[in-house]
Amino acid sequence: MRKSHPVRRAVLATAATVSGIVLLLSLKPASDPGAAQAAGGAAPPAAAQSPQGGAQPIGDGTVTGDAVSTQYGAVQVRLTVSGGRITRAEAVQAPKGGQSDQVTSRSVPKLNRAAVTAGSADIDTVSGATYTSTGYKKSLQSALDKARAAGGPGGGTGDGGGAGGGSDAGEDRARTVTGDAAQTQYGPVQVRITVSGGKITKAEAVRTPKGGQSDQITSNAVPKLNQAAVTAGSADIDAVSGATYTSAGYKQSLQSALDKAGG
Amino acid sequence: MTTTLAGGRAARRQTMRRIRPRRSPAVPLLLAVGAGAVAVLWLWWSSTPSLADTTQKIIAAGRITGLLGGYLMALVVLQMARVPALERRVGSDRVARWHAMSGRYTVSLVVAHVFLIMWGYARQAGRSLGDIVQQTVTSISTLPDMGKAATGTGLLFVIAFLSIGPVRRRLPYDGWYHVHLLTYAAVFLTFWHQITTGNEFAVEPAAKTFWYGLYGVVTALVLWYRIITPVRLNLRHRMRVAAVIEETPGIVSVLISGRRLHRMGAEAGQFFRWRFLAPGMRFSSHPYSLSAAPRPDMLRITVKAIGDHTSRLRELEPGTRVWAEGPYGALTAQRRSRGKVLLVAGGVGITPMRALFETLPGAAGDITLLYRANSTQDLALWGELAKIADERGARLMYAVNSPDGERPDISADSLRRKIPDVDRHDVFMCGPPGFAQSVYEALRGAGVPARRIHHESFEM
Repeated sequence: MRKSHPVRRAVLATAATVSGIVLLLSLKPASDPGAAQAAGGAAPPAAAQSPQGGAQPIGDGTVTGDAVSTQYGAVQVRLTVSGGRITRAEAVQAPKGGQSDQVTSRSVPKLNRAAVTAGSADIDTVSGATYTSTGYKKSLQSALDKARAAGGPGGGTGDGGGAGGGSDAGEDRARTVTGDAAQTQYGPVQVRITVSGGKITKAEAVRTPKGGQSDQITSNAVPKLNQAAVTAGSADIDAVSGATYTSAGYKQSLQSALDKAGG
Repeated sequence: MTTTLAGGRAARRQTMRRIRPRRSPAVPLLLAVGAGAVAVLWLWWSSTPSLADTTQKIIAAGRITGLLGGYLMALVVLQMARVPALERRVGSDRVARWHAMSGRYTVSLVVAHVFLIMWGYARQAGRSLGDIVQQTVTSISTLPDMGKAATGTGLLFVIAFLSIGPVRRRLPYDGWYHVHLLTYAAVFLTFWHQITTGNEFAVEPAAKTFWYGLYGVVTALVLWYRIITPVRLNLRHRMRVAAVIEETPGIVSVLISGRRLHRMGAEAGQFFRWRFLAPGMRFSSHPYSLSAAPRPDMLRITVKAIGDHTSRLRELEPGTRVWAEGPYGALTAQRRSRGKVLLVAGGVGITPMRALFETLPGAAGDITLLYRANSTQDLALWGELAKIADERGARLMYAVNSPDGERPDISADSLRRKIPDVDRHDVFMCGPPGFAQSVYEALRGAGVPARRIHHESFEM
């Protein structure tokens, strides 16, 4: 039967909610700590400020741009660069669900082609897919920036490495195949393998669980899984203890990559 | 039924043994709700790697308010699911106040969510704050399930508007109540966009399971306790009006017969929500306390004719079917922590006090009833109260206005004078809000600790 103070209560509730949300927002970093690693090989910052600036040739290899969120979902572009040119562009993330499926399937192939043709982020927007196009261009630009930052020969996360420019060199050419993303309890896992001469020469995870404890587990387990995949040459690899879900997702995605490479 | 114990130390000891005050589960429940809110915030935290710029921060704030709003929405519905643990242990009045408070807070969160998300999306699309309406239209027409969500949110805003104090007081109770039931539709409509467009649920399948689980459990509880339980209760007990008795001018008792009514588990001090299946009364259900301990074949409620509904009770024909939901309320013997009890009744608030006066175990002199009314003619049920007092050696006092209309003095001093050991009593109280407030203050002044003053108030 205590006296109630509705106004005081409302002011307190508002103040507590607003300050709680502001606190949460301010605790989040401005850039994803995991993204820097994903850029691969992360060259020292000095390289980005080299006198050649934007004119510096982009490094060979594959590079994944930042995920750019749009109203309909995130867009993330991955480029394959060879001989300083974009040889391939693909969207590893694009808006999904509902109407978005349709818009994505119509616009993304066009954008991929345009990126390869233009060799830069200066591409036209696909009509009816304004948001996706804008996000695509932003992610593409960030991929190009990263490729430049990674710098000259051998600097990239490349599939070619020393074999630079050998992309069309007959039967022995290296192919990169990306498996389907496997959903795990902690986030999706997606594996990309480089196959050369019928063998896996390289395996890497392009998507892994992120955030909180997952960062630690991922950085511990993924290199082991990559090595195991190359050694085994198949998806029949042991799970890393303490990373059961990630291992299971990895194996699943690896199998799908192998299936694609075989077919 | 009535247990009258003879006086003496042995009887008192026996009484004390039976007194096991049950703690209200309010604190653990509130802690659980807090833990759930933290889990919801964690869900946002773990699925958001970084916030690059102001636009991202605005959208993030919109997501946090949306997630919390969705979480609380489920709890707001749960509070009205008539779950026995809430109704009988925490108390229907307290839960109703929680419901009103958390409802207001949830609607505020939804307003913030809509505004922040649309503002953020507008900025992301390179538009300004002024284009927020246009952005809202675009989002509703292009994003999945947003049409439903917009309808549901609109409905929610209408319901919230009609529940604002001054607006609500101008509406007839039944009309307001039936509009309020549309909240279920609003919650259903807004649920789907949370799953299909919610970033957290797309990234984290476990979160989706959690969300479906939360809403699934609430739906099951609502179906069980608001529909299935009352249907079973009424099929089993088949209640009808047996007689209507005028107690004093303006106060009537309704006797209700039925089968095996003692099996309903009702205790003295509790109430049911009654619906009389007579013309013009079918669509309104009202809470009235039992004014006597339930008998196997008979229940009794006593009602003061103040409103439309209560006046019509007088004209009820014997044999009218009765639909009851309950029992609800926590103003029962389980709140008691002391051997001595003071019951305070104001006007028609006598009904639950009358039932407790008859049934609370106690030796002679342990139970005291203080009955406040305007005049001696308004002391409804006085005859039977006097008989009970006589039989069990309980004290019965009344306070009425003096012939010139002056109010009786109920203050700390007068209470202490009449009941010297008042500070060693448990106090049960029922009456109009102003009366209850002044008696509460007098009791506190006389040294009764707040935790021993048990009161039910249906004022918001």
